Amino acid sequence: MTTKKTGAPLQKTLAQCWSKYSYVFVFIIILIVYAITINANGNHFNPGHISGILSSQNTVIVGTMAIGMALVIITGQIDLSLGSSLVLCAGVTIMSYNATGGNVLVMLLAALGSGLICGLINGVLVGYAKMPAFIVTLGTMLIYRSLTLSVVREIDPALTGSSSSQFSMISSMPSYDFLRMKFGTGSLRLGSIQIPYISFLFVAITLFFIFLMSNTKYGKSIYAVGSNEKTARLTGINVERVKVSVFAVTGLLVGVASFIQACKIGNVTPASSGTSYEMYAIAAVVLGGVSMAGGRGKILGVFFGALSYTTINFIIVSIPALSPDIQNTFQGLVLIVVILVQTAGPVIKEKFVELRHRTKQVHQ
Amino acid sequence: MNTLLQMRGVSKAFGGVHALTDVHLEVEKGEIHALLGENGAGKSTLMNILTGVVPMDEGHIEFDGKVYPHPNIRQMEDAGIAFVHQELSVINDLTVYENIFLNREIRNKWHVLDKKQMIAQTHELFERLGVEMNPLTMVSQLKTSEKQLLEICRALHANAKLLILDEPTTALSNEEISHLFEILKKMKREGTAFIFISHKMPEIMEIADRYTVFRNGEFVSSGLIRDTDSRSLTSDMIGKEYADKDVYQPRILGDVVLRLNRLTGTGFHDVELEVRKGEIVAFTGLAGSGASEVLQTMFGVLPIQSGSIEVQGEKISGSICRFMEHTIAMLPSNRKENSVIPDMTIQENFQIAEHTLSRRKPVIHRKAEAAAFDARRKLLRIKTDNPGDPINSLSGGNQQKVFLARWLNTNADILIFDNPTQGVDVGAKAEIYQMILQFAQAGKTVIINTLEIPEIKKVSDRCVVFYEGAIVKIFDHEEISEQSVMMYSTNAVAEAGK
Repeated sequence: MTTKKTGAPLQKTLAQCWSKYSYVFVFIIILIVYAITINANGNHFNPGHISGILSSQNTVIVGTMAIGMALVIITGQIDLSLGSSLVLCAGVTIMSYNATGGNVLVMLLAALGSGLICGLINGVLVGYAKMPAFIVTLGTMLIYRSLTLSVVREIDPALTGSSSSQFSMISSMPSYDFLRMKFGTGSLRLGSIQIPYISFLFVAITLFFIFLMSNTKYGKSIYAVGSNEKTARLTGINVERVKVSVFAVTGLLVGVASFIQACKIGNVTPASSGTSYEMYAIAAVVLGGVSMAGGRGKILGVFFGALSYTTINFIIVSIPALSPDIQNTFQGLVLIVVILVQTAGPVIKEKFVELRHRTKQVHQ
Repeated sequence: MNTLLQMRGVSKAFGGVHALTDVHLEVEKGEIHALLGENGAGKSTLMNILTGVVPMDEGHIEFDGKVYPHPNIRQMEDAGIAFVHQELSVINDLTVYENIFLNREIRNKWHVLDKKQMIAQTHELFERLGVEMNPLTMVSQLKTSEKQLLEICRALHANAKLLILDEPTTALSNEEISHLFEILKKMKREGTAFIFISHKMPEIMEIADRYTVFRNGEFVSSGLIRDTDSRSLTSDMIGKEYADKDVYQPRILGDVVLRLNRLTGTGFHDVELEVRKGEIVAFTGLAGSGASEVLQTMFGVLPIQSGSIEVQGEKISGSICRFMEHTIAMLPSNRKENSVIPDMTIQENFQIAEHTLSRRKPVIHRKAEAAAFDARRKLLRIKTDNPGDPINSLSGGNQQKVFLARWLNTNADILIFDNPTQGVDVGAKAEIYQMILQFAQAGKTVIINTLEIPEIKKVSDRCVVFYEGAIVKIFDHEEISEQSVMMYSTNAVAEAGK
């Protein structure tokens, strides 16, 4: 139908692949660096390391929340309350488990319900009260955690499951073994590779949201609102409702994450659990190539972004010479460098092409 | 006499398009000189050349006895030329006196701002001009008219000898206009000269001393206002009747499908109108006349204050979505701001409005959507190979066709086009009007808002002229002429009647 310019088609396809799936390449590069550091420290890189990445709470818990964060960022907003919401919801989840004698269904509903409420509060304030998302979620970030902190010691230990300041699943319940040992920390063995069950859940959530964002009208409306809110409104999209909905969906995902937290870790400490998780989620979203300006980004990118972020952590931990205190410095540096390459890369390339073009002209 | 500004033989082309060809303009000290012409006549290009924003290709500029072969912004400012733009450029978050002294603040010997001195000077300036404004008020609290005055005062404080006023009265009420005119007359007596750009004929007749008319980038006429009248000025502006072939064909119209009952909203009041099935109605009026606002209210963008909108006998109000469900579609003005979704592909941009109507079926069927786009692409002759390309890879005219397709795809019966040919090249423009006729022939009802009177003549059954928020005249197709439409939209009729 169309005659496209032929000539180095391979190079062109590669270049297109790179710009379209840069987050996959970023992950591969980081994974290679990880393998090198492990081998350099006298160990052998093996499939166990990969299943370690897959089952890490940075992948599964932060990653699940990062998908919600991506939706919020694509509409041009931000949600800083994720870490605090997680603590609150995990508290509610664990308490409902303890209170019902280990009823899994009630526990799951409590997780989703509390998450939805946390998200809706953010959403309504941003969407209908038209307040800046940064401020609203900064406020709820402080509120959700402090509320949890202040009630944990006041509640009967029979409910919190712990006499110290944390929520803990009571191990004598009949469903404890299934939730913690089978689902939360167990894995499926495929040949020499072990894939944790919770990773399947994360992959399933990712696939669902890939479908939602690229194959449904709701997904398109999210992109439209983030790309040009005025136009979105003029095409009949209920912009306010879309904004509220992305926060609500994020809340539901926080609910799922807190269910995973309960099953994987078994407890949650309001003072220390989930701190800075909202920042890690933003890092995963950005590493996944989602534009902070809104309107652009893929859920598949967020999936790989979460994997990349976890791997960066693992690299730092695997170097014995680094003290844990310096960890955040390296995390920050790697994040900045990766984003610098993504944003400055095209600019440098353009300059380079222009220069080559000019020298060519001079030679002619 | 005392010539202040002389521009001779000025020419300018953008790409291959001649914006100005050998025009001249002369302004004397202490006069108000009206610069007239339709949109695209070259007025703003000439003013941009004079203020050094755009370089000229050829020409001679002499201001206050000095020749400027290559004027730049700084030079012309220093020489005493100030441009008061239509969009106000005062800074809302500063006070009145801070705005006046912006970038030329007075400092004391410690290099700290000398507020006392600046406030005192502002007082003095206001007194001299008869402006009643507190120098310490925040600009955000001023009315639009006061902001306009402030902008003029700022220019005068910089000792401007020549002020260019670009449609300074569009946002002002009659009272405010007469106050502004008093100040202008006072300054004129003190020797300041003005270039006054306006489309409103009555005020030109009132305030200006001389005039210069441009048409299609060429000089047409110049002279004293007292030797002419609004009728002959209007015909100078629009020139001879366009000799284009008339593509208009009378059609048999159906029943009334749309009725506005004493509709009042933002910027317009008591609009009464009936539109019949298959009819093409053109709205026209200057900026601020309310024509665009009526359309936006008919699509739920702006709220209805009183009165009602009836479609097929049913009253509608509420969200845009409600109006879409009642088969109304609107292609808004300002394509870039209101139509383009820059991060989306052509296909996605095309589909987005239809998604609102079919939202009960949440999943997208790509094949069906691609087929729908392909059908519209052929119908509207959209030039694209791949609907998956970003929307911004298309030219302005092609983008606009995609947005036409977007709204046709909602199967609307009433199509509202607000300034559909804005920023679209001549070829695509003609095509778009041709398509509008086709839509009407297929039974769609079309309402267009445009300032391009020749185009109105070509397509519309009726032309509704707005002036200051009300309908002043409705022409039938045979009665539409550039002259008469222009007379009503500039309210020159009222002037001639005096």
